[in-house]
Amino acid sequence: MRPENYEAIKQPPSNEFELNFGPNHPGIEGNYAFRVKLNGDEVLSARADAGYLHRGFEKLMEGRLWIQNIALVPRICVPDPVPMEVCYSLAIEELCGLEIPERAQWLRVMQLEMSRLAAHLFAFGGHAATTGMYTPMFWGVADRDLILDRFEELTGGRVYSIYNIPGGVRRDMPDGFLDRLGALLDYLDSRLPDYDSLFFRNQVFIRRARDVGAMTQEQALKWGVTGPNLRATGLAFDVRRDDPYLAYEKIDFDVVTQPGGDALSRNLVRRAELKQSIRILRQVIKHLPSVKGAVRCPIPNPLAWNVPAGETYTRVESSKGELAYYVVSNGGDKPYRVHVRGPSSMHAVQVLEKLAVGSRLEDIAQIMFSLDACPPEVDR
Amino acid sequence: MSDISYKDKGSILGPFKSLSFFSRKPVTEPFEPRIAADNYRGFHVNDWDVCIGCSTCQKVCDNAAITMIKIPGLPDDPVMGIRNERPAIDYGRCCWCGLCVDICPTSSISLTQEYVHTCRENELDSYFILPDPNGMHNKLFPKGWSKTGDADLVDLERQPMAEMEPQSRSDNFDEIVDGFTKQQAIIEASRCVQCGMCHDSCPTNMHAPEYIRAIWEGDAEEAVRQMYRTNPFSHVCGRVCTHRCETACSIGRRGDPVAIRWLKRYAMDAVSDERVREIAAEGKADFVSGKKIAIIGSGPAGLTTAFDLAKNGHAVTVYEALHKPGGMTRYGIPEYRLPYDRLDADIDVIKSVGVRIECNVRIGSDITMEQLRQDFDAVVVAIGLQQGRSTRIPGSDHEQVRASVDLLRMITAGESFDVPESVVVIGGGNVAMDIARSLARMQKSQYGKVAVTVSALEDFDHFLADPEEVKEAREEGVVILDSRGPKECVIDKNGKLEGLTTLGVISIFDDDGRFAPSYDEVDEQLHHGGMVIESIGQMSDISLFGEELTEELEWNRGRLQADEDGVTSVSWLWSAGDMVHGPDVVHAVADGHRVAASIETYLNEGSSNNE
Amino acid sequence: MSKELNLWLDDLLKDIKIIQFKRKNSRRVRIDIAPEALPALLELLQGRASYVHLSAISCVDWIEENEFELVYHVWSYETNSLVSAHTRISREPGVYLSVYDLYTPAAFFERDIHEMFGVYFEGSPDMEKFILTEWNGPPPMRKDFDSEAFVNQTFNWEEYHPQWLKDIEAEGGGITTRPEDVR
Repeated sequence: MRPENYEAIKQPPSNEFELNFGPNHPGIEGNYAFRVKLNGDEVLSARADAGYLHRGFEKLMEGRLWIQNIALVPRICVPDPVPMEVCYSLAIEELCGLEIPERAQWLRVMQLEMSRLAAHLFAFGGHAATTGMYTPMFWGVADRDLILDRFEELTGGRVYSIYNIPGGVRRDMPDGFLDRLGALLDYLDSRLPDYDSLFFRNQVFIRRARDVGAMTQEQALKWGVTGPNLRATGLAFDVRRDDPYLAYEKIDFDVVTQPGGDALSRNLVRRAELKQSIRILRQVIKHLPSVKGAVRCPIPNPLAWNVPAGETYTRVESSKGELAYYVVSNGGDKPYRVHVRGPSSMHAVQVLEKLAVGSRLEDIAQIMFSLDACPPEVDR
Repeated sequence: MSDISYKDKGSILGPFKSLSFFSRKPVTEPFEPRIAADNYRGFHVNDWDVCIGCSTCQKVCDNAAITMIKIPGLPDDPVMGIRNERPAIDYGRCCWCGLCVDICPTSSISLTQEYVHTCRENELDSYFILPDPNGMHNKLFPKGWSKTGDADLVDLERQPMAEMEPQSRSDNFDEIVDGFTKQQAIIEASRCVQCGMCHDSCPTNMHAPEYIRAIWEGDAEEAVRQMYRTNPFSHVCGRVCTHRCETACSIGRRGDPVAIRWLKRYAMDAVSDERVREIAAEGKADFVSGKKIAIIGSGPAGLTTAFDLAKNGHAVTVYEALHKPGGMTRYGIPEYRLPYDRLDADIDVIKSVGVRIECNVRIGSDITMEQLRQDFDAVVVAIGLQQGRSTRIPGSDHEQVRASVDLLRMITAGESFDVPESVVVIGGGNVAMDIARSLARMQKSQYGKVAVTVSALEDFDHFLADPEEVKEAREEGVVILDSRGPKECVIDKNGKLEGLTTLGVISIFDDDGRFAPSYDEVDEQLHHGGMVIESIGQMSDISLFGEELTEELEWNRGRLQADEDGVTSVSWLWSAGDMVHGPDVVHAVADGHRVAASIETYLNEGSSNNE
Repeated sequence: MSKELNLWLDDLLKDIKIIQFKRKNSRRVRIDIAPEALPALLELLQGRASYVHLSAISCVDWIEENEFELVYHVWSYETNSLVSAHTRISREPGVYLSVYDLYTPAAFFERDIHEMFGVYFEGSPDMEKFILTEWNGPPPMRKDFDSEAFVNQTFNWEEYHPQWLKDIEAEGGGITTRPEDVR
């Protein structure tokens, strides 16, 4: 809502009052807002207010050639753009019956895990900032930048890599890339104890985050929670393992769970997933050189590419949870309909509204970051 | 290291570990922009010498960021497929995805490692740039994202065309090329980037991008409709056109050009003759103008003129001296390249819009020009070039020294002649190939072996005949010698032709570029042959005009003088086709349209003057 | 266990006459079902076959058939498979039943579809505007809403006219094809 349209909130003669939390607030991820009803600093209810980031991606996609959308989809989630590209590409590949080369599959896994690492670093850094700890945020963002360096080298772009294309990836990796990636992994590995002592095993954080925004596994399932947030309630589910795509079936990794269902658990899951992603990337580095061949299967001229009529619901595991694309083609050169199911469309709206009730005002930011909610996935 | 347990109580001392960072060297980022990665997607550069202005980048741009700018002074040559346009990019829209780079047919455009640009509020214009080789700020940055083999979005390989093997085709006149299947045609059509270079280069400006698109969409009828906008000889052109479109095709810059000619052929073959006639008749005038036009010669130029004028409601009569209409397309092109039934199909379409064709009528003897002038509102001479030129070398007046056009005509007409067991052809053009390959077929079926020698003046690097003609002729057993100049037709003492002697060519043109071949007198060879065929060019038989009219008309070095629109120095007479312009089908068609338009204007002016 | 459940479900669904059942692969099932039977199907899938996770509700505007297609993607954590239940409702008036009582996440998707397509879900807890709070036009995801035309009518494009372009125009050149000409 534009500021000039804000209603003056009439305060009742009691401790109850309403507050606009966001859209421009350091405790909010992206441009997003809550209207919070408070009794003192206890939250009585919270209502999500979106629309500040709406660019109409789904509508835009209907007006562009199939291939042109590869430059658009990563913008739906800034911190973790690669799953968007991959998911969209997988959907088209399924509709067209394209078999992507094995090397492209491994290259995609590599990017997906690099992107997950970057997103998790961002997420825990952000969470730390909401609890007043800025050093972990700087560390998280600075180390994410090193991953972006590798993205830049691999794809030519730092944030929106636009590297995946229906049929595979757009380029093979540069010479020596895996060595430099390996060096980065060694560095990140060595950083994990630093993060632990500074943040994850910091008593200030643990006491601050425990029991904040807690949900049970039953609640999580009922509310449609997915990804690390679901695993933080003790359910070992991961699309990569349980609905596998690309080369994940050939990769060894653990689906990490934590029992608490609260902000602490969610962060600890992410912390463990940092390690799992590094583990996956090490396997990629080991395996990728032995996979020779093309990085893209032949695809039609992008200007004259009719995707056969059909529909597909394609899912991947993004750093935030279950990401799905429902893509419908009517046989034309543009998508007939693309529906993006971002994990945050649950986490940032209903789940957050529910978890906020009964918490304290200063915890809303913490809950939001612990859910790793990404508003553009809601707004689209 | 195991994962942290949820029960872990943590430590308040842990964060003090960060104190150890005090001793570390701080990370300092320089003020200068960081050097970007090797394939960074920064600002564009465009190599103007390579760019052809095809605007494919504009079509793939997902942000509508590219505007095409016409730049005077740059080469602009439709025949070569070059436009003097270059892409300009709006950096308020561009997202540096690099699709323009990956699809660029020429690979002229690429992204650089430069990525910093800023300006004051009143300098927003600086976000609209015209990429050139020097980069956005005239600072040479290394290239970043540029074309690589694995990233090319242009399909450089043509769909293979199935054709008869040399051994099975070399003793008959069956059509060699099979034509595309529907699947192949759609795939081949999908390679097109719709740049329109083909349209610009085509003498009759066929709407090739439109019909290729229609074929890709599986709508062959629409493709035929697009063809008939400009070409009533689509069956013929789909087989034997010199396809300047493919020479200009932007995909051909780095790969095989789109097989535009074969696609045309596919669409024509895919639609029934009856349906083609219906499509061709669309837009025909629903009135009768009352004007009468006579056209002499039923080749592509004459019949195209007739087609256009008949569609406009005029009564058109075409006079043909030979048995069947078609002119050189019938009597000059061998059947293995153009089956007669396809030519007949084209002519049937033309007849179906109301053109009357009268064969076996020779103007000049059966009907005089004067009669035509009296009976018709306008007369078009489109008689083509039907007399072979002679080398006039010693011995060339021997009866076994023949002209290629005469023999080709006899072969089509089914007139018998003694096929020589060995033959020498003088000339290196497509007509020389046609007669050589036709005779090779006849030798093969009569004697079981081929003995045809072609001696051409040009060397293989500057050969006149199409490369595929040369290749196929060789496959069929024809021997082709380059850089040989004819010296003498050798006749033995019994008066029998023994063969042809040739000399090695030193140069063909003199310093002023005039045709004046010089020969190496030492390098002399004798090629045995019971027949020598001259195939060095044709000229028109202009006897039809009669003395009086010949006097009245203006001439230019033996050719009838006519302007672009075929207007001669006599007001009621037009001329079209090979006799005034260059010899190929598609030029003749283009000529036909121009002449028809000119006559249309003339008739309209005439009627308005009368009112 | 999970395999047996899958087989049981396949058999069961194949027997029901009002639906079309298609197994796409081991983890994807497509069901086409009449709108009046869909809630019962979802109840069956959730209550008897462990499809507890409503992954998404997608809406497709088939304007030529004057229909909206609603697709309910439900996932089972036990059998690791996804059922996509397709149903079609008339575009006018575009009213359907909410499945919020079965699946809590439906509230978001139904609200979103209501806002973007104008489909009203009876029984949904919240049909208020969410993203397009200040939008009074037609539901924008409908095929008959042309967003590009709206943008062109509403906003002014930045018209650039830099010096290099003026120089080229002075020589007789200039803009030949604008990007909007080829869209």
